[in-house]
Amino acid sequence: MREFASEVPAAPPQEHGRGRSIVITSGKGGVGKTTTTANLGAALAARGARVVMIDADVGLRNLDIVLGLESRVRYHLLDVLEERVELDDALVRDKRSELLFLLAAAQAREKEDVDTAQMTALVERLRERFDYVLIDSPAGIEVGFRNAIAGADEALIVCMPEVSSVRDADRVVGLLPPAMRPQLIVNRVRPHLVRKGKMLSVDDVNAILRLPLLGVIVDEPAVITATNRGEPVALDASSQTGSAFRAIAARLAGEDVAAPAPREAGVLAKLGALFRGRR
Amino acid sequence: MSARRIVLTSGKGGVGKTTTTANVGAALAQRGHRVVLVDADIGLRNLDLVLGVEKRIVFDLVEVVEGRCQLRQALIRDKRFETLAILPAAQTRDKEAVTEEQMARVAEELAATADFVLIDSPAGIEHGFRNAVAAATEAIVVTTPEVSSIRDADRVIGKLNERALPYRLIVNRVRADMVRSGDMMSVDDVCDILSSELLGIVPDDEEIIDTTNRGEPVVLAEASRLGAIYDKIARRLEGELVPFTRLDEPGLFGRLFAAFKAS
Repeated sequence: MREFASEVPAAPPQEHGRGRSIVITSGKGGVGKTTTTANLGAALAARGARVVMIDADVGLRNLDIVLGLESRVRYHLLDVLEERVELDDALVRDKRSELLFLLAAAQAREKEDVDTAQMTALVERLRERFDYVLIDSPAGIEVGFRNAIAGADEALIVCMPEVSSVRDADRVVGLLPPAMRPQLIVNRVRPHLVRKGKMLSVDDVNAILRLPLLGVIVDEPAVITATNRGEPVALDASSQTGSAFRAIAARLAGEDVAAPAPREAGVLAKLGALFRGRR
Repeated sequence: MSARRIVLTSGKGGVGKTTTTANVGAALAQRGHRVVLVDADIGLRNLDLVLGVEKRIVFDLVEVVEGRCQLRQALIRDKRFETLAILPAAQTRDKEAVTEEQMARVAEELAATADFVLIDSPAGIEHGFRNAVAAATEAIVVTTPEVSSIRDADRVIGKLNERALPYRLIVNRVRADMVRSGDMMSVDDVCDILSSELLGIVPDDEEIIDTTNRGEPVVLAEASRLGAIYDKIARRLEGELVPFTRLDEPGLFGRLFAAFKAS
């Protein structure tokens, strides 16, 4: 039961001794929060960072599935918060990376069961041992959302190029403390629909949201397949989506990475222009 | 006779609750029924956008509940379907602004002058979900053929069972090519896992992205494949035995039809 304990990073990860706590949120569900969390976690760990992902979707957990770790989950977030088990016993190490860990959500409990102060304290504890604490927020703006953002210093907003997703993202940005300085990931862009004028462009989305653009992910059926198999596409060197997630991880780490060249020429110029405009 | 009050719910977000609510509602209205759509996603409303009535909102659900306007003042009548109306959610309020009892009372009042009241539930299983479900006498569970969506649907079905609410399933965004290549679960698999009765199978079709962005129910489009599918769902809701459109899944048709007849 304690076999993972010794493998959990114990030393302070950075010189200042504390990792970054980042919530991944969106307002609207189904836009790719969990997939983004899993892939960013995998990509950051592949770069040598110590990463822990918290599934804050109590009652409707899915991050364990996307990572293919569902059969390894023994204990969950509420077991830790309610002090039934030690933190190290609840952290599930990823199959592929020694640096990547998951703290799963409770499936048979309610979001109202999470104590906000305890959640914040837990994130603080994790920041002493990991370079990144990624918090996968539930959809909506209710209690679960509020608990997910409580311990985070930074926010990533995942948005699809659809009016309803943009509206919900805008609402969420308004609810976040400005100090969190949210950054934008535009997910599931279909360039052929954008060219035909049947889908919002990344420009259109960000004309409304006006956030620093961290990355753009093109809609690829391979992501569905990878998610069903529990294999983060970020680890697939041949995948366009995978390389987009790796670029996002690099930018998050502070590298000045150019936008990956999308295969669709039409949006290339637009995307390039947007990224050049980035701070 | 009082209307049927049907909640559309899913657990997981982004699987198509709002799009399904708008299109099933429009299909029912096209068939002559009096239909009211209730957006229960307070704070993150979107049903108004999907129906293209966002600029015509004057009052909302929370104002009705708080007695600041009459129910009929908050209803927006659709311009394309005379018998279709929508009760929008408040955008700048919280889901906690409404209780289950208040929500149920609004739905009952709407039911007195309608044939169908469709309630578009928010994602999740929190307060907003409980409000939406409290107002309903039956449910439609929307899921996509993806593991996470099915897991969340299963959790929601458990909650519906606790309330003894009857439900049927719409499997949304099915990609026949991916099912054939073994990269997507078949509708059979989904129904098996959830052991649910099927109400509809909706293919993944880019037509819906465009119509949703334009605020047009797809049932209005001529010769639309999706429009025909929503019409069939409306007929099944009326109680008609409508065979399921086969999405090129070997052996699927017979099984589904058998399952349907068994109900």
